[in-house]
Amino acid sequence: MTRRALSLLLLLAVAACRGGGGGASTDGLTVALMPKNKGNPYFVSCRQGAEEAARELGVKLLWDGPTETDAAKQNEVVEAWITRGVNVIAVSVENREGLSTVLRKARGRGIKVLTFDADALPDARDFFVNQATPRGIAETLLEHTSRILGGAGEFAIVTASLTAANQNEWIKEIRDLLASKYSGLKLVDIRPSDDDRKRAFDETQSLLKAYPSVKVVMAIASPAVPGAAEAVKQSGRTDVKVTGLGLPNDSKPYLKDGVLDSVVLWNTQDLGYLTLYAASALARGTLKAGATSFEAGRLKTLRVEGDNILLGTPFTFTKDNVDRFDF
Amino acid sequence: MTDAASARATRALLGLLAVELVAFTFLGHNFLSIANGFEVVRASVEVGLLALALTAVIATGGIDLSVGSLLGLCAVVFGWLAREAGLAVPVAAACAVLAGTLGGLLNGWLVTSLRLPPLIVTLGTYSLYRGLAEAATGGVANYTGFPDGFLGLGQGTFLGGVPAQLPLLAAAFLFFWALVHRSVVGRGLEAIGYAPEAARHAGVPVGARLRLVYVLSGTVAGVASLVYVARLGQAKADAGTGFELLAITAVVLGGTSIFGGRASVVGTLVGLFVLALLQNGLRLADQPAELAGVLTGMLLLLALALSRERKAS
Repeated sequence: MTRRALSLLLLLAVAACRGGGGGASTDGLTVALMPKNKGNPYFVSCRQGAEEAARELGVKLLWDGPTETDAAKQNEVVEAWITRGVNVIAVSVENREGLSTVLRKARGRGIKVLTFDADALPDARDFFVNQATPRGIAETLLEHTSRILGGAGEFAIVTASLTAANQNEWIKEIRDLLASKYSGLKLVDIRPSDDDRKRAFDETQSLLKAYPSVKVVMAIASPAVPGAAEAVKQSGRTDVKVTGLGLPNDSKPYLKDGVLDSVVLWNTQDLGYLTLYAASALARGTLKAGATSFEAGRLKTLRVEGDNILLGTPFTFTKDNVDRFDF
Repeated sequence: MTDAASARATRALLGLLAVELVAFTFLGHNFLSIANGFEVVRASVEVGLLALALTAVIATGGIDLSVGSLLGLCAVVFGWLAREAGLAVPVAAACAVLAGTLGGLLNGWLVTSLRLPPLIVTLGTYSLYRGLAEAATGGVANYTGFPDGFLGLGQGTFLGGVPAQLPLLAAAFLFFWALVHRSVVGRGLEAIGYAPEAARHAGVPVGARLRLVYVLSGTVAGVASLVYVARLGQAKADAGTGFELLAITAVVLGGTSIFGGRASVVGTLVGLFVLALLQNGLRLADQPAELAGVLTGMLLLLALALSRERKAS
C-alpha cells in the first residue's frame, strides 16, 4: 500500500518534469535569468522581452527566482544553476554582498555572469546591463520640462527623501544641465515625499500655494507621481502640469486626465531582451571586456561604457502608449 | 508499539529518499555528485537546526511557530551589535544566541505559567518577534560587511568540500537524539505529549520540562540565525521568513506525531533531506521552485494519511 502510493506520486512528479522541461535549443547555449521577484509585473515584462530574444537567438532560457523578494532564495537558485551547469547567469541582484560571493564562485567555474536592473559588486560579474544612467534620466526629464514650459519658466521637484542616493544623483545632474543647457528654466524648490503618496500630495499642495508661478511639478519617485498629480488635479489649476519618473500603472489615470504630461522610466521588455542578447554574445565571445558598442537585435547598436551595457535613453510613457504596459 | 511505528515511518521515508535520488539522477543535470550533496546540506542547515529543536517541542504535544521570526530577530540583533554598535563578532554572536534564549524563555513562561495553548502563544510571538525585528530596522536596514572569518561559518568548506556548518548540524542531531531517545528527560517529554496529567502524577516535572524545550528551541533559533547571516552575508529583518513551516513539515514528515507522545529525531533529519532534495532536484531538472511547494504538500498529506491508516489497522 505504502509503496504503491509512493511510486504513484513519484510517477506524477516524473511526468510533470518531462512535460515541462527540455525545450530544445539549437546551439546548446543555456542562459539562466533571475529576477528579484518572479511575481512582480515589472519583471514579468522583462521576461517577455527575454523570451522574445531567446526565440530569435535559439537559446535555451531558464527563468527562475523567488516568488517574493527573498535574498536567501536567490543564493540557492544560483547555487543550483552552478551545479546544473549553464553558460550564462544573469541576475537582478537583491543582496549585493551576499549574492556576489556566489556569483564569483560561478565565474570561477567558467560560467559567464551578467547583472541587469540591479548590480552586484563589480568583480562578481562580467557586465552590468544598465537600464538608465543618472545623466540620461536628468536629460529626458528636463527635455519634457522645457517642452511644457516652452523653454522658460519655473519648476519644482518632489523627490523621494532628501537623503535618497539615486534621487540625489539625478538632482545633481539636473542642476548641471540647468547651468549648461537649460538657462531659461529655474528650479525654485525641492520637497521630500518619503516615498509616500499622501506626503507627496501634501507637499505639492503647499508648493502650489507658496509658488504660484511654478508651472511644472517634477516628481522623481514612483509614489510621488500619482501624489503630485492628484494634488494638481484637485487644485483645479489647469496651467500646471506634472512630469516625472514612475510606473505606468500608477500614472495611467492622470495621463488620461491630462494633469500628468509624461512619465519617464525604461522599457522593461527591452531590458529583458537586451540582457539575453548580451548573455548570448558574452557566451559566444563576441562581447568582450573593452568593447564600446554592441549589436542587440531590434534595439540596433547600443553603447557600452566600461563594464556597463547601456539600454539607451529612458523611455517616456504618454497617454498614447501607456496602455501597452502593465506594471 | 510506538517505536515500531516510527521505525516503519522512517523506513518508508528512506525509501522515498531513494526514489528521489533515482528520479532526479535521470531528470536533473549533475544531480548525483558529492559536491551537490554538500550544497544541499549547506542550504538546509538552518531549517534543520530549527527542526531538530522542534522535534522535542512537538514530542510534548506543543508547537513553536515563532522560530522563523525569532531567527530574524536574532539576525538583526547580531547585525546591529556587530556593525552599528561596533562589538567584536564573538560578543555580538553570543548576544544573538542569548536573545534567542530569552525569546524561548518568554514562550516557555507563557505556556507554563499562564497555561496558554502553545499554538496561540507562539502565534503571538511569531508576530511579535518579526515585528520587533522590522521595527528596529524600519524593515530596510541591511547589515553587511562581516569579516571573512565569520562568513566562513556559512560559506566555507573544510577537508576539500565539506560545508563548514555541517558539524553544527551533526552536533545538534546528536544532542537532540540523546535528549529525546536516550535520557530520562526525553521519556518525560513523550509522556507529557501522550498524557500531561498522567505524566504529572507519575512525577514528571511538567512545567520545567516544557520550559526547557521552548528555551532550547529559542536558543537554537539564535544559533541558526548566525549560520544564516554567515551564509548570506547579510542580516535583515526578513531573515528566516517561512522557516517555521518548513521545519514543522520536516518534523511531521519524519514521523513525529503532531499530537505529541511519539517523536523521531532520526526521522526529522530524513524528512529534512527529503524536502531539501526535492527542491534541489527540481531546480536541476529546470523546474520552477513552485512545483516543490505542490509536491511537498502532497508528500506531507500522504505521510499523514499513511500514519492514520496505520493507527486504524
